[in-house]
Amino acid sequence: MQSVPHRPDHHLKLYRDVLEDAELADALGFDSIWLSEHHFWFDGYCPADLAVAGAILGRTRRLGVGTAVVLLPMHSMQKVADDAATIGRLGDGRLSLGVALGYRDAEFDGFGVRRKDRGKLMDVMLPRLAESCRSVDPPVPLYVGVATAIAARRAARLGLPLFADSTMSVAELREMLDAYNAAAAAGGVNAPRAHALQRDVFVTDDRERDWAMLMPELRYMRRQYGGWSYPQEAGESVPAYVHRLDADIEAKLKNLIMGDAGYVSTRLREFEALGFDLIVCRSQFGNLPRKSLHRAFKGLSRVREEISQ
Amino acid sequence: MRLGLGPIGLRGARRSELERLAVQAVASSFDAVWVGESRAEGVGGGLAAAAMLGQAVPIRVGAVVDAGLYHPLHLAEDIAVADLTMQGRSEVLLRLTTSPSSRYGASTEPGWFDEHLHVLAAALTGAHIQWTGEHLRVPARLEANQPAPSRLALNPRPGQPAVPIWIEASETWIDDLARQLGFGVAARWTRGGSVPAATGRWPGMLLCPPNVNATDLLIAAGDGAGYFMVEARTPDEVSSAGRRLAGPLRMPEFPEWISD
Repeated sequence: MQSVPHRPDHHLKLYRDVLEDAELADALGFDSIWLSEHHFWFDGYCPADLAVAGAILGRTRRLGVGTAVVLLPMHSMQKVADDAATIGRLGDGRLSLGVALGYRDAEFDGFGVRRKDRGKLMDVMLPRLAESCRSVDPPVPLYVGVATAIAARRAARLGLPLFADSTMSVAELREMLDAYNAAAAAGGVNAPRAHALQRDVFVTDDRERDWAMLMPELRYMRRQYGGWSYPQEAGESVPAYVHRLDADIEAKLKNLIMGDAGYVSTRLREFEALGFDLIVCRSQFGNLPRKSLHRAFKGLSRVREEISQ
Repeated sequence: MRLGLGPIGLRGARRSELERLAVQAVASSFDAVWVGESRAEGVGGGLAAAAMLGQAVPIRVGAVVDAGLYHPLHLAEDIAVADLTMQGRSEVLLRLTTSPSSRYGASTEPGWFDEHLHVLAAALTGAHIQWTGEHLRVPARLEANQPAPSRLALNPRPGQPAVPIWIEASETWIDDLARQLGFGVAARWTRGGSVPAATGRWPGMLLCPPNVNATDLLIAAGDGAGYFMVEARTPDEVSSAGRRLAGPLRMPEFPEWISD
């Protein structure tokens, strides 16, 4: 739901669109749709996943809805727990809650939280949230968003499944899962063996056409995330900073899985073999044209059918 | 005059029950249907539930929300996003409840609520805000968080230019605060009581029992407008309230013979 500079839209339209996307996903047989969260960004990046989750659950009858992810240290843990319990019940158990640390200084500052305290806050909040999610009827499945071994160990100690970041390579994922399993074993925790993973995926029967269409959107998305992760340093010129961000974009673009349904199925099976039984495929980058996005959704539904067989 | 159904309590509620009442509210000519959270009992998600119900009915959908328990920018974000999912049909009634404060670690001091509601009101205007108070500093401008801007803005903004927001004024200072911020004022219906005076463009709201009659409501409104939220709990009660109230509230000297 981003009104990006090169393809601006009114948010009333963007939110109408995402509800239509959810209906399409429901009709195409997807298991779930996932929402991500950021705050105070000019393009209106969605800051309130659970409100959108409520709307999607109201619009659909079967589709699961997940948060990928609520940036827990910026929130009141009690609010997240109480909101999730109500929405989970009203949604007949279709809500899943993914939570993670967050990383953008300006967001922490907006809510009066020190970014450097986020790990300690997570250590306090996560066990309480996990207990709350387990104790409500119906229980709300809780995933922990991770991009590092430290975060994976925290999840392991609580026996919570992972929601792995989209930019991690296969080698990094293996390393993280090893850290997770070792921490679970050391703590005597019977941790789950199956986890969730996010990947940037675009199914197309015309790679050349769609690559040209995707590039501005992907570059915008990656430059935005890169800028949040690696802020401009004091004394660094704008051209030098942009050059640094562009290098990050090139590295991250290598993780994009793009091709026909057969190719994408083969690639996704690699992750399934690692222990990821839920693969959340992000095909909306920025604000893609509706026709292209829906074509990709339909392609992805063929991938889902192939993998399910 | 406006007629709302609710608030339908969310404690233990099922979606099918909410939708049945909301659909009946439409069929009974209500202007809006409301749901109510109760964080003292661990029941949150009022705005998300309203966003859900907004997909089932074409009328306005309101949420009764406990304010002052968590950061007001999160509340502003929930309001903005819920309003967008409903294409600008949301309404909000804030309750300054003090009982769940221990669960949330919030204060019960009037000054605390004062600051929370000032920040909420400022954020919802879309202004680039900065607030420095005794309890809140927005943005915090903490040395540890850099780079961080000295002002911030709510993004996205609500779909409506101004989301109608009321505050239940159980004490004089809450009434004063609501009027100062341009929020509407709500009160519980009592026989012989009056609709709170309008604030800006929002009429005063009365929270009414299901069996209230039109004559009493019109007397309560006097020469002004009123927003009457009627707590009917079953489809039959909703239907009965709509038949009894919608006509007389919409037209002076409503001819009783028309529905006999």
